[in-house]
Amino acid sequence: MYHAVLTRTYLTTKVMPLLAALAVMLCAAMVLIVWSVMGGFLVKLLESGRATSGDVKITFPNQGFAHYDELVKMLEADTAFVAAAAPIIETAGLVSLPDDRLEIATIRGVDAASYSRVIDLPGMLHWKPLDTPVPKDTLGRDPRLDPELREKMARAFENGLTMTRPDPISGKPVPAMISGIEMTGLSFRQFGGWYEFRPQFVNAIGKTLPDGSVTWINGFMPDKFLTLRLLPIDSEGRVVEMASLTLPVANEHRTGVFELDKRMILVPLAELQAKLKMDESRGVAARDPYDPDAPATVARTIPARVTTVVVRAKPGVSPDELRSRAEAVYARWEADHRGRVPSASLMKANSLIRTWKMEQQQIVDAVENEIGMVVMLLTFISFTASFLILAIFWAMVSEKTKDVGILRAIGASRLGVAWVWVRYGLAIGILGSTLGLTLAYLIVTNINEIHDWLGANLGIVIWKPNVYYFAEIPRKINPLHAGFVFAGGIAMSLIGAVVPAWRAATMDPVRALRFE
Amino acid sequence: MPTTDVNSPMVSSAAGPTAGQPVLRARGVRKTYRLGRVNVPVLRGVDLDVGAGEMLAILGKSGSGKSTLLHLMGGLDRADADGGGEIAFDGRSIRSMSARELNDYRCSTIGFVFQFYHLLPELTVLNNVCLAAMVRWGRLGYSSRRAGIEARASELLEAFGLGGRLKHRPAELSGGERQRVAIARALINEPRVLLADEPTGNLDRATGSQILDLLAEHQRRTGLTMVLVTHDNEVAARAGRSVRLVDGVVAV
Ligand SMILES: Nc1ncnc2c1ncn2[C@@H]1O[C@H](COP(=O)(O)OP(=O)(O)OP(=O)(O)O)[C@@H](O)[C@H]1O
Ligand SMILES: [Mg+2]
Repeated sequence: MYHAVLTRTYLTTKVMPLLAALAVMLCAAMVLIVWSVMGGFLVKLLESGRATSGDVKITFPNQGFAHYDELVKMLEADTAFVAAAAPIIETAGLVSLPDDRLEIATIRGVDAASYSRVIDLPGMLHWKPLDTPVPKDTLGRDPRLDPELREKMARAFENGLTMTRPDPISGKPVPAMISGIEMTGLSFRQFGGWYEFRPQFVNAIGKTLPDGSVTWINGFMPDKFLTLRLLPIDSEGRVVEMASLTLPVANEHRTGVFELDKRMILVPLAELQAKLKMDESRGVAARDPYDPDAPATVARTIPARVTTVVVRAKPGVSPDELRSRAEAVYARWEADHRGRVPSASLMKANSLIRTWKMEQQQIVDAVENEIGMVVMLLTFISFTASFLILAIFWAMVSEKTKDVGILRAIGASRLGVAWVWVRYGLAIGILGSTLGLTLAYLIVTNINEIHDWLGANLGIVIWKPNVYYFAEIPRKINPLHAGFVFAGGIAMSLIGAVVPAWRAATMDPVRALRFE
Repeated sequence: MPTTDVNSPMVSSAAGPTAGQPVLRARGVRKTYRLGRVNVPVLRGVDLDVGAGEMLAILGKSGSGKSTLLHLMGGLDRADADGGGEIAFDGRSIRSMSARELNDYRCSTIGFVFQFYHLLPELTVLNNVCLAAMVRWGRLGYSSRRAGIEARASELLEAFGLGGRLKHRPAELSGGERQRVAIARALINEPRVLLADEPTGNLDRATGSQILDLLAEHQRRTGLTMVLVTHDNEVAARAGRSVRLVDGVVAV
């Protein structure tokens, strides 16, 4: 009982131990903030990957595989597990940007209608009319809010959904592509997180002309064209000559994954198939040289190919469950086309049917390792708080020597006296950890605002969207991590309190009483 | 464990007459402080019997070892390891008590009033008094007895003229008031023996004798055994018996 009374009294009358609680608070907050941001980074990486690539991908790179429509149909027939599946082509190429720079691009051939069923295409499209500003655009300067641009935005959105753009002369829709918002440099990310293209607000990008002068380029990307250079590979895996594909831009996509926003271009599937020679083609037999009127006969048909089928899981189905289902479906499909499509065992052996996490295993592992190391280092650093508590408690035990003597003199046991101090340490730990968790929560949930404020007022920009994958710093705290940090803060305080407590317990009561 | 011969005639005459079995019995108690290489013998063979229900005054010059003797009898300190003599409570040697028994002894059997009050500065007067009961009963025991204990504490403080000061802190009290709080704390567990180190040393004559009246009254009601250390012959005169410490022994 006296433990409780004394702890309470000391807590409310002594300032020094509150400093110790402050130290615990700062350490706990530091560890949790770093852990949350880095852990959030990983979660975001996984989520964004899933949002842009579906839950499971069936891929046979470069050459691709034929009869994909049947595979899609068979996958979608598995209605308990599969929500939707879509064929796409994934390839690499070069994109020549409006300022004639050549950049490496990840080119994805997609059919807007089927792709939208697997991937949230409307959500990815950046240019669309907006009624309420994005959270950090406090002044509402986002061009998507501008009533004068509303129609332009609506048109771009419409075009993006169908991946077409009306031909200026005929007015008929022609196939168009969707480029990444960070790709061309014409859309500038503002501090508030929105993008600006209007020339009166942003710098133009320049290109050098042959006479040495510079011409300046600016404007709205969905009004422009882009040219891709592609490397077609035939069904046998042979490289055909370079192909070039120029298409209007329908809209720009923004996934939040910087790498994708910088590199990925969506192109209509049919156009890409044609350029990559992955469309259906007919081999024509030679004509009869003696009969000029004889028609050409079709010797054989080479079916169209894609490199990948993306699959979305039904709600509640884990990616791993979906993967094993997809493997089974693939095996059945392969049985129907034996010898003409990659064998199921090969796909399995090379892990070509995989979840997004597996695809990114390397980076996921790296990030996980990094998190573990940083958290461990910070935990070590946080042990300084233990020593701080030790020092403060040591001083307090010295100051309270007489109290210890009194307690022992009126019959308190050694253990009882020690418990006064351990309990006090516990209280400091709980107080510090609670404050630390609160502080971490406040900082992490407002981290982007704080970061922007630092950037705007002090010029400190720590999180650069071109260094990290994400434009925004993750702002979620994992409750499990919070629990660990809480326990850690308490453990630290206890460790700091144990030595002084032992010292108090071993004091000689009479000596303690005579202490001045 | 060596015990001194309790029947030595010289010793019993020095110990003084007591009716029946003494509550506290000291035989040949020696206490030597070691200062560096120098030994400072403070008690050199104290023999003393304290009878049940008696009020004994211990007189002696400053530095004669009165507080030291009281500490030894209260189980706060130990006599010299070899040939330090023996202190027994109800015939039971304090030396033979386990740590736990010793804690119980300090807590419930003995009430100790320190020369320098020794109150906890952060606690209120009431909590300072109740502290001894908290130590005695532990968390659960105290919680269930709390009302009764606090009532008794207020009653004691009331009797000592501190009824209005329950929520005050020791620093807000005068020396004499603190001394009275310390006495209340010593009595809260209803001990069998009160060991008081100059309980009236800081009080004016009138208040001092008032406190002594209260203690005498308390003694009449409860049969409390009291050992008072004092410089004051008048206080000693009120005690049933007084002994004097001279040169580390009890002078006749
Ligand atoms: N821890 C210690 N180390 C060395 N000497 C000590 C120690 N404690 C007490 N002494 C010495 O023991 C002697 C007796 O001390 P004690 O406090 O018992 O005297 P006292 O009779 O109570 O005196 P007073 O009337 O002044 O309170 C003193 O000379 C003191 O210096
Ligand atoms: Mg003294």
